[in-house]
Amino acid sequence: MIRYMLIAAAVAAPLSMANATGRMTCEAVERAKWLTEEAMTKKLTAQGWQVRFMKEDGGCWEVYGTTPDGQRVEAYFHPATGEKLLVAQRGKILFRAEKN
Amino acid sequence: MTILNSRYFIWLLLALPAVPMAIALTDGTQGPYGQPVAEMLLHPTGEFAARFMIAAMIVSPLRSVFPRSRLLLWLAARRRYLGIAAFSYALAHTALYIVDMQSAAAILGEFWILGIWTGWFAFLLFIPLATTSNDWAVRRLGRRWNVIQRCIYIAALATLVHWIFVHNNIGPALAHFVPLVALEFYRIWRYVAANNTRRIPV
Repeated sequence: MIRYMLIAAAVAAPLSMANATGRMTCEAVERAKWLTEEAMTKKLTAQGWQVRFMKEDGGCWEVYGTTPDGQRVEAYFHPATGEKLLVAQRGKILFRAEKN
Repeated sequence: MTILNSRYFIWLLLALPAVPMAIALTDGTQGPYGQPVAEMLLHPTGEFAARFMIAAMIVSPLRSVFPRSRLLLWLAARRRYLGIAAFSYALAHTALYIVDMQSAAAILGEFWILGIWTGWFAFLLFIPLATTSNDWAVRRLGRRWNVIQRCIYIAALATLVHWIFVHNNIGPALAHFVPLVALEFYRIWRYVAANNTRRIPV
C-alpha cells in the first residue's frame, strides 16, 4: 500500500506544483489601459533603472533589471499606473508597497 | 544490450539536455521575453543539475521499493555518471551566473543573500564529490570515499534552500525534492521496522 502511495506522490507532485508564481497579484486592468513595454522601460530608465526584460505575472508587469543602486532585481509594477509594488533581489524583499 | 553497457551511451543520454542549451549559447538566441541567453539558460542548467543530483541520490532508495527492477540495477551501476552530470550542469549554471552578473562587485554585493550563498555552498560541496567520482579515487580513499560522498545530503539541502529562496518560489523546488524526501523516509521507516521485528522475542 505504502509503495503505491509513494508512486502516486512521486508522479503527482511534479504535475501539480508547476507554473504561476503567486509572488504578486495586481487588480484586473483592461488590456488597453496597460502601459506598453516601451512606456514602462522609459519610466524606469528615467529613474536610473536598467531594464533587461519584462513579462506579465499575476496581472502585473514583472521587470527584470538593475536598480539605481546596482542591485539585480525582479520588480513588480502596477500595469496601468506603473506604481512600484514589490522589489526582490534574488528572493530577498527590498521593497513592498503598503496596501491602501 | 551492448549499447546499454557502453559508457558512451549513458554519457550521451546525460548530455542530451545540454544540446539545445549549447545551440542557444552559440547562436546567442534570446529567451521568449527577450532575456539575454546567459540569463535564459540559468534556469535550465540549474534545474538539470538538481535533477541529476536527485536521480543519483534516489536510485538506492528506489531499489528498496523495486528490488527486482533491472532499470534501477542498470542505473545503480552508473550512479557516479549521474553525479558527474549533475556537477557539469552546476558548473555551467555557475559560469552562466558569473557571465550574467558581469562584475565581481555585483556578485559579491549579493553573495550573502540566503538564496545565493546556499547555491555557492552547494557548488563548493559538489567539487570534492565530482573530483573523487572515479575508480582511482575510490581505490585510493577506501572507506573514506563513502564518508566524503555523504556530503551530498548537505549539498542537496543547500540546493533545496537555494532553489526555494532565490526566487521566493517553493513549488518547482518541492516538486523535485518531494519524491526524494518521501523515499528517504520510506527507507528509514523500513530500516527501523526491520530492526524492531528482529528484537521481538520468540
